[in-house]
Amino acid sequence: MFDDDLIQKWLDEGTISDTQAEKMRIDIAEYKKEHKSKRQVIAFSTIGAILIGIGAILFVASNWEKIGDSFKVLLLVGSTIGIHYAGYHFKYENQRYPRLGSALILLSALFFGAGIFLIAQIYNINANNSTLVMLWIIGVFPLIYGYVSASVAGLCSLLFYLWIGLLYMERTDLENLISMKDLYLISGISIYFTGILHSIAEKLKHAEKTFKFLGLQAVLIALFVHTFEIWQYKVEIIVPLIYAILGILLLAVLFLKPLREKSRSLQADVSMPVIALLMAGITLTTIYVPDSYISAPVKFYMVLFNVIFLGLLTLLLYAGYNMEDIGIVNTAMFWFILLIFARYFDFFWELLPRSLFFMLGGLVLLVISIVLERKRRELKLQFSGGE
Amino acid sequence: MNQKKVLYLTVIFWLLIFSGFILYKEYTLRTGTEIILKTEPVDPRDLFRGDYVVLNYEISTLNLEEVQVEDPYFNYNDRIYLALEPENGYGVPKKIYKNPPDNELYIKGRVKEIIYDWEAYESNGMTEDPALKEIRVEYGIESYFVPEGKGIEIEHQQWTGREGGDVKVVIDKYGNAVIKSLLIDGKELKFKA
Repeated sequence: MFDDDLIQKWLDEGTISDTQAEKMRIDIAEYKKEHKSKRQVIAFSTIGAILIGIGAILFVASNWEKIGDSFKVLLLVGSTIGIHYAGYHFKYENQRYPRLGSALILLSALFFGAGIFLIAQIYNINANNSTLVMLWIIGVFPLIYGYVSASVAGLCSLLFYLWIGLLYMERTDLENLISMKDLYLISGISIYFTGILHSIAEKLKHAEKTFKFLGLQAVLIALFVHTFEIWQYKVEIIVPLIYAILGILLLAVLFLKPLREKSRSLQADVSMPVIALLMAGITLTTIYVPDSYISAPVKFYMVLFNVIFLGLLTLLLYAGYNMEDIGIVNTAMFWFILLIFARYFDFFWELLPRSLFFMLGGLVLLVISIVLERKRRELKLQFSGGE
Repeated sequence: MNQKKVLYLTVIFWLLIFSGFILYKEYTLRTGTEIILKTEPVDPRDLFRGDYVVLNYEISTLNLEEVQVEDPYFNYNDRIYLALEPENGYGVPKKIYKNPPDNELYIKGRVKEIIYDWEAYESNGMTEDPALKEIRVEYGIESYFVPEGKGIEIEHQQWTGREGGDVKVVIDKYGNAVIKSLLIDGKELKFKA
């Protein structure tokens, strides 16, 4: 274990005594046990809240005719308020079950949405209505700050993506302005940007990681979709303009002195303005350079987006290792593997004999593992003060 | 801010949203005029609210040669106000307005599709711009939610029914409409216990 290595090093150097080393080992073991159990409680209570919330939404969806509408509304509104109060009680009054309290506050936010959909169902408001999701976001957004809730920040981010999708389906004229994949890429960058803004003030920091994580996932999904050789890439002038504004805003915020000094994830954060400005350039090119100037434009954009996607993953991997952030490393690795699979099925399948591809793939993975191992050793050496 | 204040504010805020939503719809239901609209229901499913029937009304497609128009130029997503004339309980389209008309029963909608008369355009030698033929309008009353599994039943009844499906809607003085009930062969469908 890394901690043991360090304690052993201090012991060998004579910095600490045997008794101190033993005390440190016991304390570290206890801390880890406590930390693990805290994370388990958070995981179980959040999953439990989500499952009950989904149950409530499905209850609304079943439109059970045995109970009258007024009773259903009273039941759901009453449960929403009751669960919310229980969450508040466990988190702030009782204080013995703060994690359960947080999970119950998340559950009440889910019940609030179910309540809105129940009323909309009773009055037959049109299906797949984006305004209802917007109302849900408006209702639960203040909880992020009122109750310092990262899970509600996650819920709001997901609802925002859902709202964007429904709005896009409702307003078919949007198709002429922007493609769905660009819209999600812009949304992802914006959510990540929201995360960056939350890192500025100490009081908002609790939501930073959640916004950044969900923003990054949307960016990666949208860019991943861009890597397929499916679409002719055509955009309107508004798209490069939005990308450019976002990129410049991000750069301006990232290079604000207090943020630059405090930020622990500057390297990963920089990837967002880079992507936004790159996309501004690419989309602008698609407008002013006609396809006739590029031989096989569909293939050209596919290759270009594959290179960008790979570049972003490499940047994230580099940033993740540098910042010792295993979450970013795991995200980058996951998408890297997915990209390899996707390209294998739509590219190498035809061009190379399969055996050759597997050998090549294996070789690439071996090289990556050597690089990562070396990087890990360097990190360890750096940490223990060696060169 | 004190946590207790956050709790109270959240509860008040949520109750305001719930009750505002209900009051807005109840206002239409209680003060509006009842009218019947002809429709053809089909059955899909909503992610959060389950089974529903899609209602395609006769007034969803407005033939501009048959219905009077105040201003014959439309853009996608334009707000329109369709004046209705009650005939034997049914709402018959009378005139399309761009602004709410005075002293008339009207329903509020949005233009979702513009259909041009391409046949006339081609037969005229394509010299003038194509004329508007029809517009497709959404009134916000195109879904009727039913208990799980009942949608297909309604669809089947509507196909086998002699008179087809009608919808009883209530329209308030601002043109907002709320569905009151679905009628198959003139009989109100009832699901609730």
